[in-house]
Amino acid sequence: MSKIKGAVVVNTDRCKGCNLCVVACPTKTLALTAGEVNHKGYAYCYMAQPETCIGCSSCAIVCPDGCITVYKDGPKRPQAESEPVASGLPEYPMEVPAEEEREVLLMKGNEAIAHAAIRCGCDGYFGYPITPQSEVLETLAELKPWETTGMVVLQAESEVASINMLYGGGGTGKRVMTSSSSVGIALMQEGISYMAGAEVPGVIVNVQRGGPGLGTIQPSQSDYNQATRGGGNGDYNLIVLAPNSVQEMADFVDLAFELAFKYRNPTMILSDGVIGQMMEKVVLPPYKRRRTEAEIAAECPWASNGHGLKQRGVNVVTSLELQPQEMEKKNLHLQAKYKEMAEQEVRFEEYNCEGADYLIVAFGSAARISQKAIAIGREKGMRIGLLRPITLWPFPSKEIHRLAKGKKGVLTVEINAGQMVFDVRAAVAGEAPVGHYGRLGGIVPSPDEIIEALKTQF
Amino acid sequence: MSETLQTSVIESPIICPENLVYAKPTLMNEQTMHYCPGCSHGVVHKLIAEVIEEMGMTERTIGVSPVGCAVFAYRYLDIDWQEAAHGRAPAVATACKRLWPDRLVFTYQGDGDAACIGTGETIHALNRGENITIIFVNNAIYGMTGGQMAPTTLMGMKTATCPEGRRADIHGFPLKMTEIAAQLEGTAYVTRQSVHSVAAIRKAKKAIRKAFENSMAGRGSNLVEIVATCSSGWKLSPEKANKWMEEHMFEYYHVGDLKDTEAAFER
Repeated sequence: MSKIKGAVVVNTDRCKGCNLCVVACPTKTLALTAGEVNHKGYAYCYMAQPETCIGCSSCAIVCPDGCITVYKDGPKRPQAESEPVASGLPEYPMEVPAEEEREVLLMKGNEAIAHAAIRCGCDGYFGYPITPQSEVLETLAELKPWETTGMVVLQAESEVASINMLYGGGGTGKRVMTSSSSVGIALMQEGISYMAGAEVPGVIVNVQRGGPGLGTIQPSQSDYNQATRGGGNGDYNLIVLAPNSVQEMADFVDLAFELAFKYRNPTMILSDGVIGQMMEKVVLPPYKRRRTEAEIAAECPWASNGHGLKQRGVNVVTSLELQPQEMEKKNLHLQAKYKEMAEQEVRFEEYNCEGADYLIVAFGSAARISQKAIAIGREKGMRIGLLRPITLWPFPSKEIHRLAKGKKGVLTVEINAGQMVFDVRAAVAGEAPVGHYGRLGGIVPSPDEIIEALKTQF
Repeated sequence: MSETLQTSVIESPIICPENLVYAKPTLMNEQTMHYCPGCSHGVVHKLIAEVIEEMGMTERTIGVSPVGCAVFAYRYLDIDWQEAAHGRAPAVATACKRLWPDRLVFTYQGDGDAACIGTGETIHALNRGENITIIFVNNAIYGMTGGQMAPTTLMGMKTATCPEGRRADIHGFPLKMTEIAAQLEGTAYVTRQSVHSVAAIRKAKKAIRKAFENSMAGRGSNLVEIVATCSSGWKLSPEKANKWMEEHMFEYYHVGDLKDTEAAFER
């Protein structure tokens, strides 16, 4: 009998009987069982001729399922402990630029978004140029925040790539944002749905233009339905913030991040071409430092970034679950979260509602125009109030219901063919007649048209 | 599910810790993989696990899994993962690496993911010279959905959606994604490997190691194509699938390094 030099141990539970080890064995040591199967029903490999094994490991190397452990008699090489490989890439700075006097500046809404992002500790911006919001990326490229706060700015190859960069960055616990306009946002819907499903925080800015299709580069509010109903596949919601000034463009960026991380959900800032392109006075928010790795780990123990893996176990960012019971549980968890958002995060502004005969409900630039209409109406003896939803989802239904009572009419003013009006009608619930006034094709309604609509509709 | 570990053990004095010469990498956990018997994915998973372990990067790696057979890669290797939308893994990885420059970031994608629906993301991430590695497993078929034609399906090869064989006039030509990648300025290391034999597996492991080291050193982007089998899709036994691959796949998809530079570009 020849001297045994090697031996293998087969995890027969893992073995699928693929036979590749038997083929790879140079000494014909291994064979598959004939007749006998493991609990999965596979024949499995075993040492049919143990005395021939030379411990060469060929079987184990080719085994796709890692079933084989190999032992070999003889001198051993010591196992070297491996040190992590250092990165050859430069570390990003994390400076907070010295705070100047908080002066009043004049800039476009899109520029304010860019400045605010740098100032609120944003870690990365990923975007693709599209009118009327390209100034966001252009401003960031000019400001070069990667040299100061360390914020990454990347022009992606498409909106599809941008939103998936957001998924990737947000999935590691970083504060990341993108911006686009209607057509580009439509292209992002898959990624937004993935973010909602995998509970990845991130901020998406939509500076709306008219549609459908390529539509127009002029302003519009016709993405209301898309934004407030999730927009992509599956049951989900985003908190949707609707700024009506350059100041709110600046202020809502940090708020959007706070909400995104509080709920582990993407947040949308739904602006439009008017607010994006309009130049206005603004006081930029104070600087906030980007979070350190330890701070990110503390805030986002779920994040997939390797930090502390050995203590906390593996983190996986995924929206996939094939077990129906588990998937229902996951969905119920999401629904509970959306319910909490709906209860906690409604934001709105009332203007001139005391003693008003008519109520206008309008958001964003339509709300600005409506304010002008209210002033004109006052001169003509019409008492008109305005409810401006700041969050379009969750929607201020209760407040609208309360204010609608006793009104001669509730007019929804939107730069679209009538989208929010359905939410307004549901909120008013028969307390007053509800109408809609809007212009299409990139045309913005005039204050006089709004007064006329109030007169003719009620 | 609690399973008692079943092993086929022979009585041998050789089986003792001091004599251990090969074991499944510890990063590959005990979950039985969903792959079909003999599937190349398992071998590639093992190699990635071994390289990450050997580089000491367990707590500093982010893997990005695809849509396709390897969608559940995250269940088998105990590192942090992100499961990307179909074809978008290179975009996901781009952000991970840009935001965490000291992490090892790689994508694991099939031919449908990286060379069809995600062609744009693959080319642009590679061309930007993102310091990531794309592990591209090419078995010339859509395995997960049941054996449909892939962008890399060979001419004449029969699949569920080209049952009479791929024809140029109807289906166009098999795409050589790796040759395209080698032309891009942003790539540092582009190679095509296979895992059908012990020698090939050893080479493939070295290639993955080089690609991962490049990613960490900031030398640019890296693509490691693994020409692989799909026994179920090809309707062959694992052994015959390996032979078929050697006889047919290698003729069109030449194995070896296509590009190996010190650095893709000056930074």
